[in-house]
Amino acid sequence: MNGEAILPYIIIIPLFGAFSMPIVSLAGRKAREAWAVLISALTLVVASALFYHVWDTKEIIVYTLGAKTPFGQGVDFPIRIVWEVDLLGAIMVLTVAFVSFMAILYSIGYMKHDTGLEKYYTLILILELGMLGIAITGDLFNFYVFLEIMSIASYALVAFRNDTWEGIEAGIKYMFVGSIASSFVLLGIALLYGQYGTLTMGYMAIKILENPTVTAKVALALFIAGLLFKSGASPVHMWLADAHPAAPSSISAMLSGLVIKIGGIYAMARILFSIYSPLANKILEAYNQPYINMGAIGWVIIIFACLTLIIGNAMAVIQTDMKRLLAYSSVGQIGYILLGLGIGLAAYGTQTGEVALAGAIYHTVNHALMKALLFLVAGAVIHEVGTRNLNELSGLAKTMPKTTFAFLIGAAAIVGTPPLNGFASKWLIYESSAVFNPVLGAIAIIGTAFCTAAYVRVLYTFFGRPSERIANAEDPETSMMLPMLLLVLAIVVMGLFPWQISDKVMIPAARMLEQFKFEYIQALISLAGGA
Amino acid sequence: MSDDMGVIVRTMARATIPLIGIFGAYVVSHGHLTPGGGFQGGATIAGAGILFLLAFGLSEMKRRYDKHLYSALEGIGGLVFLGAAMLGIGTAFFYNTLWHDGPVFNGEPGTLLSAGYLPIMNLAVGLKVFTGLVSAMAAIALYRRWKS
Repeated sequence: MNGEAILPYIIIIPLFGAFSMPIVSLAGRKAREAWAVLISALTLVVASALFYHVWDTKEIIVYTLGAKTPFGQGVDFPIRIVWEVDLLGAIMVLTVAFVSFMAILYSIGYMKHDTGLEKYYTLILILELGMLGIAITGDLFNFYVFLEIMSIASYALVAFRNDTWEGIEAGIKYMFVGSIASSFVLLGIALLYGQYGTLTMGYMAIKILENPTVTAKVALALFIAGLLFKSGASPVHMWLADAHPAAPSSISAMLSGLVIKIGGIYAMARILFSIYSPLANKILEAYNQPYINMGAIGWVIIIFACLTLIIGNAMAVIQTDMKRLLAYSSVGQIGYILLGLGIGLAAYGTQTGEVALAGAIYHTVNHALMKALLFLVAGAVIHEVGTRNLNELSGLAKTMPKTTFAFLIGAAAIVGTPPLNGFASKWLIYESSAVFNPVLGAIAIIGTAFCTAAYVRVLYTFFGRPSERIANAEDPETSMMLPMLLLVLAIVVMGLFPWQISDKVMIPAARMLEQFKFEYIQALISLAGGA
Repeated sequence: MSDDMGVIVRTMARATIPLIGIFGAYVVSHGHLTPGGGFQGGATIAGAGILFLLAFGLSEMKRRYDKHLYSALEGIGGLVFLGAAMLGIGTAFFYNTLWHDGPVFNGEPGTLLSAGYLPIMNLAVGLKVFTGLVSAMAAIALYRRWKS
């Protein structure tokens, strides 16, 4: 199969679905729901094909918009927008398409009693589109456009249930913080464009290596600041704890599972490894040329990661609101991913760094599945019982056994219990952090202790003595149960083959990202002959 | 009490709304030749709609404004844009096959029927922006929390 031929459909299909949604929904609610499910299922099919292609060939796909090659006539530098997909991007595309499909399937039952659903399904498809775009793009400004598409769709979706002030307040707060973060990123892009005169990521990397100026360093600082905001790292995680619980649960699953990772972690990894090439900076350092100290950047990220994983997990322990607990737990898990990313950068070129990076990528995927499952369970509980206060949910295991089972699997996976998928990724991060610096390993373990405490508390509530409030609750309908069970299945199956997945998918993805042979730049430059 | 702005404003609005609309249509259709384009022209036409809303009041706007029609038109604008982008999918997404191979919109650069898919996209974006902005203003006017 030709990867370049199917790549544009990853954007075309959700875009077509979103634009045609107002017309399709004139035919009634059944047509609208079927259309949303069909579009996201098709996207998942294309995403799987794309992932399989990139994984199989181990080659970076470069796709040019509007022409055969990105190089203009008579010039030797790329002038067109390119999309560039390496294995990390393909993994992200597959994760986004899968979790979005689950969330849309779940929405059929969960959003049944809401009005204005044509806007809801349009926005959810646009949110998916924005995330897919970020994962495949190879152009800085195109990245910013998709980042804004994703962000604006998620602001609107957080405030979707505008009958209570909670959603509106959270949406406005999210919008302010998100806009500040976006403007940091935009300022960074503007500085780089002004300094180097290009927006193509691969070519920008060459330009920065030729002349690593102060401007490039300032832009890097702005990128890291903006993207830490977007990923919800401490000390700027306060918007996340408001926005994620206030959204409808299917949206919370997408926000916590995908948006903070694609818009934060993935974008940061792309910028740090593909634009500011750590290998080339090491070479420049060895030859006493001006360079950018990427090891120090790695340590900056590690410090934020340690803060995030302690604060996030510790705050999760003391929450009484179930969704708020899950949101803080997301902050904590982002800390682990950032820790892996930071060590990957600080220990660049060593086995430890590679393992840490692979662990970060692996945990990104795993956490997307686990947190989506947990938020869907929380949504089912809200749907049936009407409250998310943990003090009133005692004894839920009696009346909602399947839902409680799904929660048990999700909680065990997120804590890192061996037969489930969270174990392998967390193990890679613990192992590499302990080898890199034992103090970091200890901090990671302390974070997990807090995380365990938080989830044990919820499980204790669920298995406790039944309260009156939950007497009439029962397991939700099939359209809500099915996505949960599929996610449980994914978690268990991924948990059965932890090291195979790590060796076959995650380590190659980390290696492609580290670009020891400048693969990302090579893939772009190799097209120059055809101009 | 009616919520329009009085006979002077209404008369002026009657005179200027068509002119604003024509100017917006000019900006849209010459988007590939002169400054401006689909978004700017669409916003100008939406200005005419907003002037109508202000001058004639919300009750008149409610009678003339059909939510389903506008949201369907907005969707059609987006779909036409996407369709124009997909014309050259054989070469690449957004490949301007009309401009390179014809048969229409491949005239001398600087004339109206040139630039391939750009005029089509400008018309689509103009439609989308006009319907979207008018719908947004109508929604804001409908949901205001105070009464006169």
